[in-house]
Amino acid sequence: MTSRIRQFALRIAAIFRRDSLDCELDAEMRAHLDLAIEENLEAGMTPQQARRQALIRFGGPQQAKEIHRDARGLPFVETFLQDLRFAARLLKKSPGFTVVSVLTLALGIGATTAIFSVVYGVLLRPLPYHNPQQIVRLWEQGATGVRMRFAERNFDDVRAQNRCLSGIAVFDSGLSTVTRHGDATRVQATSVTRDFFDVMGVQPVFGRAFSPDEQRLNASPAGLVSYAYWQQTLGGTRDLSSIRLKLDNHPLSIVGVLPPGFRFPDNSDIWIPREISQETPSRSAHNDQLIGHLRDGLSVDQARADLNTIAQRLKQQYGPGTDMVAVVIEPLRRAMTNDVRPALIVLLVASAFLLLIACANVTNLMLAQAAARERELAVRAVLGAERGRLIRQFLTEAFLLSSIGGVCGVLLAYWGLKGLLALAPANLPRLEDVSINVPVLLFSVLAVALVSIALTLFTALRSTSRDGLNEGSRSGIGTRNKRRMGRLLAAAQLAAALILLVGATLLGRSLLRVLSVNAGFRTQNVATMEIGLPFDAPKADRADFLDRLVTRLRRIPGVDHVGGTNKLPLSDSGFADGSFAPMNPSQISPHVQDLIRRSNSENLANMDPALMSELIAFFDDLFRDKSHLGYADFVVASAGYFPTLGIPLLEGRLFDERDTSDAPHVAVISQSLARQTWPNQDPIGRTIEFGNMDGDLRLLTIVGVVGDVRDHSLESAPPPTVYVDFRQRPQVAWTFTFVMHTSSNPESVFGAARSILHDLDPNIPPRFNTLSQVYSASLEVRRFSLTLIGMFSVIAVLLASAGIYGVISYSVAQRTREIGVRMALGATTREVLIMVLKQSLITGAIGISVGLFGCFALTRLLQSQLFEISPSDPITLCGVSILLLMVSLAACSIPGRRAARIDPATALRCE
Amino acid sequence: MSDSKLDLLQGTLDLMVLQTLSTMGPNHGYGIARRIEQISGNEVLLNQGTIYASLVRLQQRGWITAEWGTSDNNRKAKFYSITKRGRKQLHDDAAYWQRLSIVMSRVLSMPEEEPNS
Repeated sequence: MTSRIRQFALRIAAIFRRDSLDCELDAEMRAHLDLAIEENLEAGMTPQQARRQALIRFGGPQQAKEIHRDARGLPFVETFLQDLRFAARLLKKSPGFTVVSVLTLALGIGATTAIFSVVYGVLLRPLPYHNPQQIVRLWEQGATGVRMRFAERNFDDVRAQNRCLSGIAVFDSGLSTVTRHGDATRVQATSVTRDFFDVMGVQPVFGRAFSPDEQRLNASPAGLVSYAYWQQTLGGTRDLSSIRLKLDNHPLSIVGVLPPGFRFPDNSDIWIPREISQETPSRSAHNDQLIGHLRDGLSVDQARADLNTIAQRLKQQYGPGTDMVAVVIEPLRRAMTNDVRPALIVLLVASAFLLLIACANVTNLMLAQAAARERELAVRAVLGAERGRLIRQFLTEAFLLSSIGGVCGVLLAYWGLKGLLALAPANLPRLEDVSINVPVLLFSVLAVALVSIALTLFTALRSTSRDGLNEGSRSGIGTRNKRRMGRLLAAAQLAAALILLVGATLLGRSLLRVLSVNAGFRTQNVATMEIGLPFDAPKADRADFLDRLVTRLRRIPGVDHVGGTNKLPLSDSGFADGSFAPMNPSQISPHVQDLIRRSNSENLANMDPALMSELIAFFDDLFRDKSHLGYADFVVASAGYFPTLGIPLLEGRLFDERDTSDAPHVAVISQSLARQTWPNQDPIGRTIEFGNMDGDLRLLTIVGVVGDVRDHSLESAPPPTVYVDFRQRPQVAWTFTFVMHTSSNPESVFGAARSILHDLDPNIPPRFNTLSQVYSASLEVRRFSLTLIGMFSVIAVLLASAGIYGVISYSVAQRTREIGVRMALGATTREVLIMVLKQSLITGAIGISVGLFGCFALTRLLQSQLFEISPSDPITLCGVSILLLMVSLAACSIPGRRAARIDPATALRCE
Repeated sequence: MSDSKLDLLQGTLDLMVLQTLSTMGPNHGYGIARRIEQISGNEVLLNQGTIYASLVRLQQRGWITAEWGTSDNNRKAKFYSITKRGRKQLHDDAAYWQRLSIVMSRVLSMPEEEPNS
């Protein structure tokens, strides 16, 4: 074994010592000949005879040298180095070709590498947690197949009864107000149940984890902080007990610091125990987000089976009281990236197309180059070079070209990635994990290898075919084959460019359609101010505070209307929706009415349990028959909200001064809800029970119908909505966004609004924005995709036109003599022009047809990205096809005119 | 066709060189080549130049060593000598060839079988 290694080492050394070893061999051979000649002289030959005989017996010295070299070194490596030197010389000789090829390849490889680095960072890279592939997200699945958040009691049962998870926890994340040294800021805080950190596989690096005492009902909040927050905001102080923080006006004691880099979920900075808040008993209150850790060795499918059994058991036990019939389980990484995955894959495919076009371009260039070296290749073949050897030469040239292109491409990608990340939607998950790292570099190396092979395949096989020497004259049949190959490549480029351009156009038209959607509200000149109110402020205080704020904001000069809501359209905050029961007040007995009244004036927790269960039984009954229930979003708003946002009042009235907290509670509903629940009837005056949303069981009387609002996204239908007045039902308005319609630039009122808020309560930090920014933020992902694919398709069209221009140009140059003959025999310039254009037309037509076929084949890929337009939209396909046809004809008109201007005399003379 | 002939010659030529060095003692390339030609009764017609590839192979395997020295008539030449490992290799290879040649000659001199009457 060691002898093999030793031999290998000696062989490698021999490559480097080539010159000295050759020298030694020369000396040995000379000595050998001298001795042979001497012997011959002694045998009686003449000096010339002696020398001649000695040389004959020795054999060919050159051959001896070659066999020696092969025996002592690594022939493969040495020929490769030789080819590399030859290839480098070749590239230096034709700088134009080299620069163009390198740039083209750099473009293709750079684009693909940049996109792949995003794809890798977002979709493929393992999450930075312990055993990340075993971490899963869980949802309840309803009878209709829809996935919903978990109900707390269901979570408790799943936690107790499962056998497939080593840990399971609930997390709930949101912005909270943190006050420190009198300054208030909004910080992302998450409440978690006791196994959360075990599931994620993290332990505090400083301090300690929560103690059981801190994880019970009504305990004083203890908190864990992120490393970054500890270092930057808390000054990295090692005495945690000295930190004085208030979270939503409650004193928070910090007990530990988590490892650097851990900020799950949503870039949280503070974690508190979930157990300090009251549990929601209803099994149909879908509030909880679940995360779990699979036991070692168990698969997702096995876990699903186990959890589904529990779900069915619970369904049997509680019947209509629970909505869950199965459990949806998905690995965390998949769950986090579901939304962006289709878009990213489309981008990757698009960049791959660009690379293919770049390759085809360079192949054509190399083919043209190879044609110039025909003679050299023919001679080498005749002298005994095997075809394999010549192909290796081409491979080395292609490899050198691709490597240089690859290095430039990676540099281009590094530079371009910065631009890409700046352009990327801010809510792209795992954006911080995107960089040019080792796996990405390996990918680019793979790309370079594939490109080299592709380039070689086309050029080498073509150029090293046996009929090399027969192609003495340039207008032989063999070159026609080459020209046809060139035209096929140009057609392939056109096909790929067509696919890209169609994709970009479809995306562009989708974006235009989304932009033209009627959002249902005004997006210009509206300023927004978002604030967070303490969770447990008394209802009346909260309503009063908001009311005073609204009144004062209205007085700002330049503000026409002021309103507020707890759910701003198109914003990231989650929405609340649920079932409501339309009912007649007469259905409620006076006894139950009294109970309802008491449940609201007294603290629900202090109410007599027997009476509570009476109430619960009454409402369970009501909600049992799902067929006459309605379903809607539940939004808390102010009277001014509708005119501020330009939401039209279609029937009845909006909230006004009559609607105080003691008056009968009122609601305003959206048009689609009216049509859905009370078709062909007048909804005004009807009453509904929607207390499951905020705990207030008083009936809501519908007083008005307003226009629909595309609340969730511009691309989905407006949800049916019930709006309640914040003065009557402020319970779920923990965050409230004020909207102000201004006559001029909305940003001008930020300062005034900030000081008004500060006067009323300096401990509440506001977040300002404008509605037009919210609107464009919702289009970010679309715009990002479109920008990139648009760029790719423009580059692709340019490359493809350069490709077809090059091919037709070359063809004209090759056929100069033939054209000269034709013209001498009487062809007119027009006929020559038509001949050239006909060739281009055929090439273009083939390319476009193949491209169209490809479009049909790839439609499914793009489907999820389009909005109200079919992937095989005929107008788009026709338009792009015609455009490309015209572009190729235009590109070919130049060589066409050149052909037409050929002077037969000079053409026939040149060879 | 020429490839296969060279292959055969590679292994056997190496063996002949080892044997020559073992019996004749240290020698230079020319001397080894001449000796092989003489001993084999000039039945082995090889280009003398191919000796040098064989010599470098044997060197890399550690079966021979080389040193520049002077020949009888004061010519500078590179002298090769067999090593202990080389002797062992020679012994093993020679034994192998002996066995092979006995078996081959037995097989090749197999009489034609008469059909059973």
